Formats: sequence, C-alpha cells, structure tokens
Amino acid sequence: MSYAYLFKYIIIGDTGVGKSCLLLQFTDKRFQPVHDLTIGVEFGARMITIDNKPIKLQIWDTAGQESFRSITRSYYRGAAGALLVYDITRRETFNHLASWLEDARQHANANMTIMLVGNKCDLAHRRAVSTEEGEQFAKEHGLLFMECSAKTAQNVEEAFIKTAATIYKKIQDGVFDVSNESFGIKVGYGGIQGNAAGVGTSTSQGGGCCG
Amino acid sequence: MIEIESYDFADDVDYAASQQQGSQSIMRSNSGKMKDPEGGEVVYVKDNVSIHPTQYMSERISGRLKLVKQDDSLFMMWIPYKGQNTNTRLSERDRNLYTIRPLPITDVRSIRRHTPPLGWQYLIVVLSSGLAFPPLYFYNGGVKEFLATIKQHVLLVRSADDANVFIVNDFQDPLQKTLSSLELLGVVPVVAPSSAAIAVSPTSESQEKMAECACDTNCGSEFIERPKYKVNDPARDFSIQLLEKFSLVTKFARETTSQLFRENSGENLFLSDGRKPNHIPALPAAPPKLPPNDVQKVSDEVHVPEDPLEFYKLALIWGNPRQPPLSQEEWGDFLDSEGRVVDSEALKKRVFYGGIAHELRKEVWPFLLGHYDFNSTYAEREYLRSARKEDYEIIKLQWQSISPQQAKRFTKFRERKGLIDKDVVRTDRSFSYYNGDDNPNINLLYDILLTYSFYNFDLGYCQGMNDYLSPLLFVMEDESEAFWCFAALMERVGPNFNRDQSGMQAQLFALSKYCLVHWQLVELSDSPLHDYFKQNDCLNYFFCFRWILMQFKRQCADIYFSSFAHHRELRYEETLLLWEVLWTHHLTEHLHLYVCVAILKKYRNKIMGDRMDFDTLLKFINELTGHIDIEPTLRDAEALCLCLGETGAACIPPGTPPSLPLKNALVSSQLEDEILGYTILRKVIADQIASAKEDDLVAFELVFRWEW
Ligand SMILES: Nc1nc2c(ncn2[C@@H]2O[C@H](COP(=O)(O)OP(=O)(O)OP(=O)(O)O)[C@@H](O)[C@H]2O)c(=O)[nH]1
Ligand SMILES: [Mg+2]
Repeated sequence: MSYAYLFKYIIIGDTGVGKSCLLLQFTDKRFQPVHDLTIGVEFGARMITIDNKPIKLQIWDTAGQESFRSITRSYYRGAAGALLVYDITRRETFNHLASWLEDARQHANANMTIMLVGNKCDLAHRRAVSTEEGEQFAKEHGLLFMECSAKTAQNVEEAFIKTAATIYKKIQDGVFDVSNESFGIKVGYGGIQGNAAGVGTSTSQGGGCCG
Repeated sequence: MIEIESYDFADDVDYAASQQQGSQSIMRSNSGKMKDPEGGEVVYVKDNVSIHPTQYMSERISGRLKLVKQDDSLFMMWIPYKGQNTNTRLSERDRNLYTIRPLPITDVRSIRRHTPPLGWQYLIVVLSSGLAFPPLYFYNGGVKEFLATIKQHVLLVRSADDANVFIVNDFQDPLQKTLSSLELLGVVPVVAPSSAAIAVSPTSESQEKMAECACDTNCGSEFIERPKYKVNDPARDFSIQLLEKFSLVTKFARETTSQLFRENSGENLFLSDGRKPNHIPALPAAPPKLPPNDVQKVSDEVHVPEDPLEFYKLALIWGNPRQPPLSQEEWGDFLDSEGRVVDSEALKKRVFYGGIAHELRKEVWPFLLGHYDFNSTYAEREYLRSARKEDYEIIKLQWQSISPQQAKRFTKFRERKGLIDKDVVRTDRSFSYYNGDDNPNINLLYDILLTYSFYNFDLGYCQGMNDYLSPLLFVMEDESEAFWCFAALMERVGPNFNRDQSGMQAQLFALSKYCLVHWQLVELSDSPLHDYFKQNDCLNYFFCFRWILMQFKRQCADIYFSSFAHHRELRYEETLLLWEVLWTHHLTEHLHLYVCVAILKKYRNKIMGDRMDFDTLLKFINELTGHIDIEPTLRDAEALCLCLGETGAACIPPGTPPSLPLKNALVSSQLEDEILGYTILRKVIADQIASAKEDDLVAFELVFRWEW
C-alpha cells in the first residue's frame, strides 16, 4: 500500500491498562476480551487519511510489566508518536505515568508527540482518576489528552488520528527533517490515494467522554 | 589367565598386498640404520601419506610418515611436504596445524584401519586423551609395515571384537597388561538403544564393537581426568563414529555448511557443483587394484548402510533424522519391573529425536523436568505423589488463609494477586482447554501461580510464567502434579524472570557471542551477518527476547491472531514437542539458543537482502510466529550444536540459564563426549578464536553494558 508518510507509534503504560485492546479496536474495529498478555511487543498497522494524504501508522504495542522495561525501552527509538495509557479505574496506573514519561523522554525522540490516554472510560462507576486530573497531568507535561474505551470504541479512532494530525502539522511546520528516519517518519510516494481506510482528519478535541 | 591373542600379520591381506606392490615402503628396522636429525633411529618411513582436510579427495596434504626410535621409546611423526599442497586454498597455516610432531607411541590408544572398497587404505590414530588425528591415507601402501613396525616395539593387540582395531598397550606392569587384555575379551557387545532407529549411521555400526571403550580403564592417570564411559554406552560409539569422520568435519564445517546456509533453503544444495548428496566426489585417479582375496573382506565391511560418511555429513548439516514420538510400548521397555527408568540417557536421547506421544506426556514429563527421579519405582512415585499433594495443599493454604484485614496490610500480596488475576484470563484463552466463560482451568492457573509465588516468594510471579504453566496443566491434568512440574521447570527457566533480567541478559549475551564465533568460524571470517547486525544496532539480539523468554512458546502457539481453531491446536502441540526436546538436555542444555541461530540462519539472506534495520527485523521475527517448522528447525539446531561442539558451547558461560545445578555435571560431561570427534576441529577453531575479531567481542561487552 502506498502512503505519503509512515509514522511509527508506540503504545506504552502499565500492564493491563488496555494497550493491546486499544490497538485491536483501532486496527480491527473489535473488542477482544480473550487475548494474550503482551510479552515483548506486538505490531499493528492501519492506513488513515490526513489532509487528503494517505498515512500509514505502524503501531508497536509494548509489554507493560515493569520487569520488561529494559527490553521495551529499546522499542522507543525512532517513534514519531506515543500513546501513553493508564486505566481510569486503577489509580496506581495513573501514578506511574511520570516514570513512563521519563522513560519516553530518555529513550525516544525529543519531538515525539505523546497522547495521554485514560482508558476504560466505559467503567465510569469504578472510576479512580478524574478527567480533570488527567487533563491537568497532560497540560503540565505538554501532552495531548483523551479518555477512551477500547471496549465501546469511544474516542479510540480519535486518539490515534489526533496524534497523527499533530505529527503531520509538525512536518508542515518544518519541525522535522523527514529525510532523517530517526524521527519515526518515512516519506512514501506522496499523495497517492485510494488505499486508505477512509478516515478523515479528526478534529475532535480531548477531554472527558464519560463524565 | 587369558592369553593375549597375538596377531599374526602374515595372514593379513594387507601384508599380501604390500608384498605384491613390491613393498615401496622403506623398512629400515632390519636394514641399515638411519639417523633422524633429532638423533633417533628411523625405523619406518613412508612417503605420500596424506590427509584430506576437505571432503574433496583432490584437496589433500601429503607428507612423510615416520617412526623414530629414541632410547627405548618409539615416536610417530608426520610432516607435510613444504609448498606442495595440491590446492592453494590450503594455507601454510593448515599445513602447520595438521603436522604430527614426534609423538610417543605410548600416547596412542588405538589405531583403526580402514580399507574402503574404493580408494586408499587409511588409518585413524586415536590418542589416549581421546583426541584423534585426521585419517592418514597411504597412497603408496605401507599400512601393514607401519603396524608391524609398531608391533616390534610396543604391545599391539588386535581387538577381539573388531579385526580392524589395534590397541596399543605399553604397560610395564604385567598385571596391568593382563587386566587390559581381560577387559578386551570380556567386553559386552554394544547394546543398541531400544530406540534402535534413532541415528542412522551410528547405531548401525554401534553393534560392531569398538574396543576402544574398554581401554579407558587402562589409561592410568588419564583415567582420573577423563570422564568414564560405560562400556556399552552407545553415545560412546557415536563419538567414535565422529572421530572417524573427522576429516570431513573440518572442511565441511567451514565450507560446505557455510555455503549451504548461505542458501535460504533447498534440497539440492549439497555440493556447490550440483552433485547430489549421495554422490561421493570423483576420485582423482583410478583406485588401486585390490587383490582377489580382499573381496571377502570388503563385503564384511559393507554392512554399514550405504555410506556412513554420507549419512554423517547429512547429520552434520541437517541433524539426524527425526523420529516418530515415543510410544507406549517403547516407554514400557525403558522401565524395569518396578518402574525404574533403566537407562535415562537413552530415554532422553529417544525423546530428543522424536518427542513423546501425547497420552504419555503426563507420565514422562515429570522425569524430564526432574520432578520424579529416574531411579524411583512405581511405589515410590505413588507415595511421592500423595506426599507432594499434601505439601501443595499446605502452601496453598498459606495464601488462602490470609484474611481481608491482613491483605489490606500486605501490599505485595495484593499486587501479586491482582496481577495473576489479570493474567490468567489472558493466557491461551483461544485454546479449547482454557476458553469460554468461567472455565475452571483458569481458576487452577490462578491457584497454582499464586501458590508458587508463596513457594518461591523471592521470584514471585512474573508475566510469562503463566505461559509456562498453561501447557503443564493441560498435560498433567492434575493441580498438584502440574504445580510440582512447574516448580521443577522454574528451577531451569526461573532466571528468565529475575527482576533485573540478569537471566535473559546472560542468554542474549551468550547467543550474540556464539553467533559471532559461528559466523566467523563456520562461515569463514567474513561473518557478514555479524557485521550487518553491528551496523544496524542489532548486536544485542533483543529481537530474540521472546523466543528465549518463553522457549518459543508463542512462536508456535499463535493464539493471538490466528483464526482457525484447528490450526491453533496444532501449534500448541508443536510447543509441547519443542519443550520436551529442549528439556532432555541431550547434547546441550542450551538447545534453545541453537534454535535461535538456526532460525536466523534460515532467514539470513532475507534479513540482509531486505536491508532490515532493528525495527524491521523485530517485526519480521514477530511475524514468523506460526511459520516456523519445528522438525527441520530442530534438526538444524542439532547440526549447529554438533558443528561447533565445545567451541560453540564455550561461548555459553557455565550457569547460563536454563543450566541445572551442578549435581548434573557428570551427566553433561559424558554428553560432551558425543562431540569428541570434533576435538581437532575445535583446536582449529580455538586457534582462530585467539585471532578472531577481538574487538568485536569487546563490542559485545560494551553493547551489553550500555543497554542494560
Ligand atoms: N471494560 C473495559 N475493559 C477493558 C478495556 N480495555 C481493556 N480492557 C480489559 O483489560 C484487560 C487488559 O487489557 P490489555 O489490552 O490486555 O492490556 P495491556 O495494556 O495490553 O496489558 P499488557 O499487555 O500486559 O501490557 C483485558 O482483560 C481487557 O478485557 C476497556 O476499554 N474497557
Ligand atoms: Mg498488551
């Protein structure tokens, strides 16, 4: 499939927050309650369209468990975008964000676009982290923010596409030298359309989805 | 007292042959005395005695074989001619390497004579250290005289069991002499393993007794240093086989193998010029005419299937043929009347080559994992089972009795519980044994994992352990038995889950080091894949992380993305097979690392051709999931393991997981001898390692220090 750009994404965050489910929802449009926990990394890919340009997202779904950190760090290199995920029903997954962010800053490209994702917002009754707290954290650290549900698919497309749109804008603004692949961007055969998954540029803003 | 059968050389066909040839060899012992430069007396000289360091008969190193007597000792030496190599590819270095410097005949354990139907007679000289020189081909005849001359100086006994093996004894002590001959005559014929079909060439010849086995007990001080062989140890015979095929090995390993592996796959890759595997390279000249009475002799030797050399070469490249799984009947044969496994090494070997029929796994796995002792009886195991069940229940009760109030103040417990709770519902759920809502087997996974985290509180629980437990529970179908097998398995692979990842680090490091040595020595020094990895920041071999962590489980069991249920079950089955083979620890404790190399080699062209960088390579390897054919991969891994032998093994530091604690050291040293035949190759390699890219090894160390 031809694309104008290819962006490498990583999905990071504590184990069990729903990273693999988010990926599966985004690539296959389904919620898969029975799948294996992630060891090392799994890959997914999907075409999207931004500004009428086909863009391929190559997504690395990493293992969340602490003891695999030394290995997962080696996957950060050359990522253009990251989804940093926590589980709104488990406070500790939110508390660990700072350490994930530190890892990202240290091992990834400084210009990597990071989307903070508060997942499982379908479980509002068990909420342990408020939307405001998420927003606040994102603001403090210069991240995009969105609450999603891999289960109901709410905001899942938006989270991935908003991140891509931000990266795309950075390219337009000349933030990246796109010929340097260490920024996680590959230039394809520009503007050839037809194969894209038919998703337009999302303009939906971050914020709470489930009160 | 048993009389030593003295060998009458006059009735030997060689003798007749050499007489017919007009004895071109120079027998000096009875005629005018010649002085050797070193001052000894030359009692035998033969020109054009050659070795074939490659599989091509045309590539040979010729030289002069001498027996020199000094004081009362006899020395053997073979010096290649200077600058007369038939092939320029054989360097001066090769020449030096093969030179036999004056060697006391007393260091020789045995000499084996070969009279192939085509080609020249050759001798294999086996030292008492177990080393062997490459076969010496007598292009001008003279085998007979050589043996006769030795016999004049030391006691040379013809093996009672194999007329072509001559054992050198030089004991001053008459008692020892007697003992040695006693042993020779009393050797029990080799019992072929009950799995007679395993190795094609080794077993077929293993019935032919090799008298060297018996010699071990005679070797004085060496006896202490070397592992002792069981007289009827088929592995021992195998090693002798290897010794004899040595001349092939060197070049084979260095050239044909590398050329083979350069190809991606393929049937017809055996020789570069397109000749078929079963075809011996053309001889450079017509074979010498054999006297008529040789015919009988030749046919005696021909009961060896087709050409054992060819079989052997195939084993070296492809590994030995795989077998059907161990069957119920065969399993019964391994047990004595009270249920002990009589020959555990033979059992492991059998499993190594064929795996286990599924319905038998439940019985055999506990032995392989060390949960049951091979020496235990039915009754003992019955008792152990119930005792262990009680033990298990007690440990389980430890966490079951923790009250909610207590748990509130027990963070570590809550964390583990929470993690296990989350993970058991994400463990092989698409496999029928674990699918569906409220599947009771998921609760068993939970109970066992949590109990284990109390049994081994230090290691606790780590993701990936669930993946190891799941097949164990499926096979054992019993909570307590599955638990104890799991605990035994964790004794081996537990270090994979060390918090600091030290166990994984050790294995990846060993893998990278092994690969460097492998690429350099087997594939000759250009080691392109190594350089490639280096350029592409792949030297940490992180892309093999998951293979190693879970011993390829996910590689086979493609449960996550595969959509055909039937297909999935098949993959699960392959995991079971692969695991039991790895667990035998036959040949090596680290077969899984060789499996990694086997797969990398298979795809090397693709990796380099597509110019994969770290990311692409990782993705590529992930996508191999479900596409790895277990049987051929195991054969490749076995071949790799044999190919570099101890030199390869030396890249894997002692204690690298899943090594077992030292109580098994004896067993493994015995097994190491299966690769005895590679001793000289090892020497070649050891030399090369010394001069190998030292800086690359340093580079590894750096990479690892940096990355971890
Ligand atoms: N209710 C609800 N459950 C979810 C959602 N996303 C994931 N889950 C559940 O959360 C559990 C963990 O999801 P995963 O996607 O496997 O988590 P992960 O982040 O990939 O975890 P690791 O692979 O261990 O790092 C699963 O049992 C999912 O069913 C969601 O949006 N809503
Ligand atoms: Mg996951």
